[in-house]
Amino acid sequence: MDSTQLTTLTGVIDKKMNRQLKQYMDICARCAICKDACHQYVGTGDFKYLPARRAELIRQIYKKYFTKTGEFVPALYEARDPDENLLDELYDSTYACTGCRRCMYYCPFSIDTAWILSVAKAILIAAGKGNEMLGQLADAAIFKGDNAEMFNDVMVSGFEDIQEEVRAITGNPNSRVPVNKEGADILYVALAGAHSIRPAAVIFEEAGENWTISMFEAANYGFFYGDVEKARLITKRYIDEAKRLGVKEIVVPECGHAYRVAEFFYEAWSKEPMPFKISHILEKVDQYIKAGRITVDKGLIEGKVTYHDPCQLGRNGGKFEEPRDIVKAVTDNFVDLTPNRAEQWCCGGGGGIVAMEEFKDVRLASGIKKVEQLKASGASVLACPCENCRLQIEELNEIHELGLQVWQVIDLVVAAMPLKGTKPTHA
Amino acid sequence: METYLWITSVWGIYLTAIVFFGGMAWRIYQWATTPKSPVRLGMFPKPKSGAGRFGKLLADTFIAPQSAKIEPTMWIFAMAFHVAALGAFVGHLRLIHEFPFLPEWLGEAGMNTFAAWSGSIAGILMLVGVLFWIVRRTFGPYKSLSVPEDYLLLFLLLGVVAMGDHMRFVYGGVVHAATYREWFLSLMTFKPEIPAELLASNVGVSLGTHMLFTDLLLMYFPFSKLVHAIGAFSSNLVRSE
Ligand code: SF4
Ligand code: SF4
Repeated sequence: MDSTQLTTLTGVIDKKMNRQLKQYMDICARCAICKDACHQYVGTGDFKYLPARRAELIRQIYKKYFTKTGEFVPALYEARDPDENLLDELYDSTYACTGCRRCMYYCPFSIDTAWILSVAKAILIAAGKGNEMLGQLADAAIFKGDNAEMFNDVMVSGFEDIQEEVRAITGNPNSRVPVNKEGADILYVALAGAHSIRPAAVIFEEAGENWTISMFEAANYGFFYGDVEKARLITKRYIDEAKRLGVKEIVVPECGHAYRVAEFFYEAWSKEPMPFKISHILEKVDQYIKAGRITVDKGLIEGKVTYHDPCQLGRNGGKFEEPRDIVKAVTDNFVDLTPNRAEQWCCGGGGGIVAMEEFKDVRLASGIKKVEQLKASGASVLACPCENCRLQIEELNEIHELGLQVWQVIDLVVAAMPLKGTKPTHA
Repeated sequence: METYLWITSVWGIYLTAIVFFGGMAWRIYQWATTPKSPVRLGMFPKPKSGAGRFGKLLADTFIAPQSAKIEPTMWIFAMAFHVAALGAFVGHLRLIHEFPFLPEWLGEAGMNTFAAWSGSIAGILMLVGVLFWIVRRTFGPYKSLSVPEDYLLLFLLLGVVAMGDHMRFVYGGVVHAATYREWFLSLMTFKPEIPAELLASNVGVSLGTHMLFTDLLLMYFPFSKLVHAIGAFSSNLVRSE
């Protein structure tokens, strides 16, 4: 293989090298205990989706270029160059991975395959093989950050429309969607689309919160794409905004990776301590309900309700109980999925995979465990605080005719609030 | 025979000791001097206190409850192997010093019977574990995950265990710990000699081969995936960071 390319790609590993990665490379026993943890391997039986195999591709390069034994006896480790063959397989196994880290949960050495694959993404990007769709979405987000004034008017008028809808729901002509409010306590960074703002606004307003809406979305395609600099710039958009407005707290919406990015990754990317408290919207809602700042009625939600832990919020974010407490506050008819919490099956829609048409088949096949769980629960309503999960589960719902209503948790809350205005239909 | 023993069970052991301890030190040095991941890689549930984290680290490393849950069969065999290996290791400490108390309680004959039983059980469990792994690796649907390193290690391990068992089952009643201790202590005091009793008893071939495999396994150890024996602690600790 071309020596410049080789130097570039091994250089990427060298730059990304850290103790955890090195240990993961050195200690994996190839015991394959992780195989049954991965919904993609379980759903397809395809070897390239076995977690340890995905990591093994990086290990093959590592052994050849970063260890003496692999350098002298490459055959012992099947060590090899990052050539086209390797990169092609790497592309599939890397961009398909939803980053759920279920494999890490079950691995006897807690090997974080998704972390190894973050290096794989960097290698693919350096080889010009990064996923184009994710790259474009990331660039578009950065463009918006650089040219915020260009988007200002359309954003503001959109917020005004949503404000009207919020007033119709609360029945209160003073309800607001505050824009650019300096001195607000909370900056709410929503997702693109009114559905992510409207119910949150209803709740904030009813709770009497001093909040303001962000001009930017919390979703981060730079993170999915695997480019740390892009991911940092996308997050920085709302961090700068929060600094400008002088808020105390940033609240992220019903989105799994947005929470993980803000709470766990941004500090490492920006190399500075996070200047704000980061909360997930459901933490706030849970507090409002428990403090009596908003009222919810049980009995307004019909049917048996269940809850899906988005991987980035649950296993990787630690928010297991707040969402459950909320759901249990709006219904007595709650049933958990089995398994749940840290052991929750990934729905198959994470890691940006829903945006990549080429992975549609594996994505849908990988949803089989979720489908089984949902069927077994006997629930007719699913509350799920992550957009990617909802997109995936909606699609599974249709294909497998589950007859399920898939709700955002905040929609469920608004539906259970005794308000004077008109009841919204969900999502 | 005598030459074989001098190579595998005297000079080979010295060489192995140098390579093994040097290799492990080098490995730990490499890990320790590579900067930590900038991102916190922990996952939940995550104990809040330091003691809780430490407890979880021990449980995850020594019991691997999550692995037990997802693949009980593998866990049972792996657990049996590791516990037996630990037992065998402890048993081998008799090479340096007779256990305190035990011989007094059991008497010399009792001690020999006890050692025979515990050694046999450990030896069989290890053998079963290794065979299970060989089969699982060779015939599982994910067999392509295996690389030659995996088979090489299993082969060496099989050699160590099979020859150890051979010594235990064939010569267990003939040559006792005291004789081996004489040999081993002579190594430790750098005045190596091979007791006449060993040479006379025909156990020499098994001992030599047991040691040959052990030498090779331990020399490769620091450069193989077997470093999980120490790496698992730190990687499992990161789980609750
Ligand atoms: S469970 Fe862990 S050690 Fe075993 S093959 Fe998978 S990543 Fe490697
Ligand atoms: S992180 Fe999830 S999708 Fe990726 S390899 Fe592990 S189990 Fe599979």
